[in-house]
Amino acid sequence: MSKTTVQFILLGVILVLAQVIVFNHICLFNVAVPMVFIYLIVRLPITLSVNWLLTISFVLGLIVDIFSDTYGMNTLACTVLAMARKPILRLYVPREEDLPRPEPSMYTLGTASYLKYLLTMILLYCALIFLIEAFTFFNPIRLLLLIVFSTILSMAIMVGIDSFMTPRSEKRL
Amino acid sequence: MSELLKFFVKYSSWFLFVLYLVAGLALLFSRNPYQHHVYLSSANVVASGVYRATNNITSYFSLRDINEDLQRRNSDLELEIYKLQDVIRKYQEKVHADTMTTDPALSRYQFLIAHVINNSINHSHNYITIEKGRLDGIEPEMGVIDQNGIVGIVNIVGDHTARLISVLNPYLRLSCKVKGEAQVGSLVWDGRDPGEAILEELPKHAKFAKGDTVVTSGYSSVFPEGVPVGTIVSGSRDREDNFYTLRIKLFTDFSTLSTVRVIRDSMKDELKEVEKEPEIKNVN
Repeated sequence: MSKTTVQFILLGVILVLAQVIVFNHICLFNVAVPMVFIYLIVRLPITLSVNWLLTISFVLGLIVDIFSDTYGMNTLACTVLAMARKPILRLYVPREEDLPRPEPSMYTLGTASYLKYLLTMILLYCALIFLIEAFTFFNPIRLLLLIVFSTILSMAIMVGIDSFMTPRSEKRL
Repeated sequence: MSELLKFFVKYSSWFLFVLYLVAGLALLFSRNPYQHHVYLSSANVVASGVYRATNNITSYFSLRDINEDLQRRNSDLELEIYKLQDVIRKYQEKVHADTMTTDPALSRYQFLIAHVINNSINHSHNYITIEKGRLDGIEPEMGVIDQNGIVGIVNIVGDHTARLISVLNPYLRLSCKVKGEAQVGSLVWDGRDPGEAILEELPKHAKFAKGDTVVTSGYSSVFPEGVPVGTIVSGSRDREDNFYTLRIKLFTDFSTLSTVRVIRDSMKDELKEVEKEPEIKNVN
């Protein structure tokens, strides 16, 4: 196993633990729930085949589902998110062959493109997860509030994670 | 043949996507908590191990609030004891007896103390994990309360852990009544506020006022009669409906659950036997 593989496995374990132990219990103002573990799907290398990406996302969603007793909600949303990642990246990064490193980050995509990509991914995920949840209780205003504020909170946390995930060599650039 | 193979390889990611999607949907539509398997719930070995480890640290955080609740409940119960002792003394004077036999109905129930290791309040279907299981005498369909009021019902039991359906889960319906009244309604959570639930199907001749206490009815072997549930916030009645729908502020603070009591009913098996549908016998 290469160094990157080990790094990503470690990142995945930390993110899942952080999600189920800390973030699952946060619900700011009853509308903002941070969805942080999808950071792994955001950061997986672009060069990774779609099949692997799908499998990793499916397993990731399933693990979070088991921990939080949400039966398939995260599994479904993660699978769809994994499938949508490539088209979303295409929106902001026209030529992914020229990237200096295969992982999407502020350094490889540029700050603006990366933030737009991150925001789109989180928004899609939050929309999916709360829409799936809304099958039982339909309350359009609360649904909208949940999606918007959870996206904002998750975005803030993930940008925070980014700031200490980035190696020093990249920061200097 | 090779063309076919090429086709499959080319679109393999779509096949995989559909496969995972179907698996996810299958999980989603098996949401009914009574069909869940222990391995796919937070009561499994790995998940409960993680939650147990974190709970060792986090269980200290809200001790002050919990202590206050306990003190209040304790003083309430003490008052109750004095009141009852007074009543007993009056009866003793009336019948000139030295001793009074107490109601044997209360010894029907036993409490098992358990710690909550995982709990959610922000999902549409909330569950709680506790660190006592089959080997500690926990069985499915046991009621769970804490110092303030009702918490939930045991649903899945592992060897050392169990998962409860929280009151904050629309799959849980509890028969409840206004304290001191006889009419029974059904308590259910509407998914809005983790501090409030709905008491529906209360017959229209029921009497209640804002601020009245709602307690369990004791119509099942899950909870004894009179376990505190909450207070009435507001009540409404649909014009064509013959029932009241009341909004209840729950006594239990689900965000700081720590130690709960699982209720074991020693008459459960007997009750089940009696309540079994009788087989229709041919009289002729």
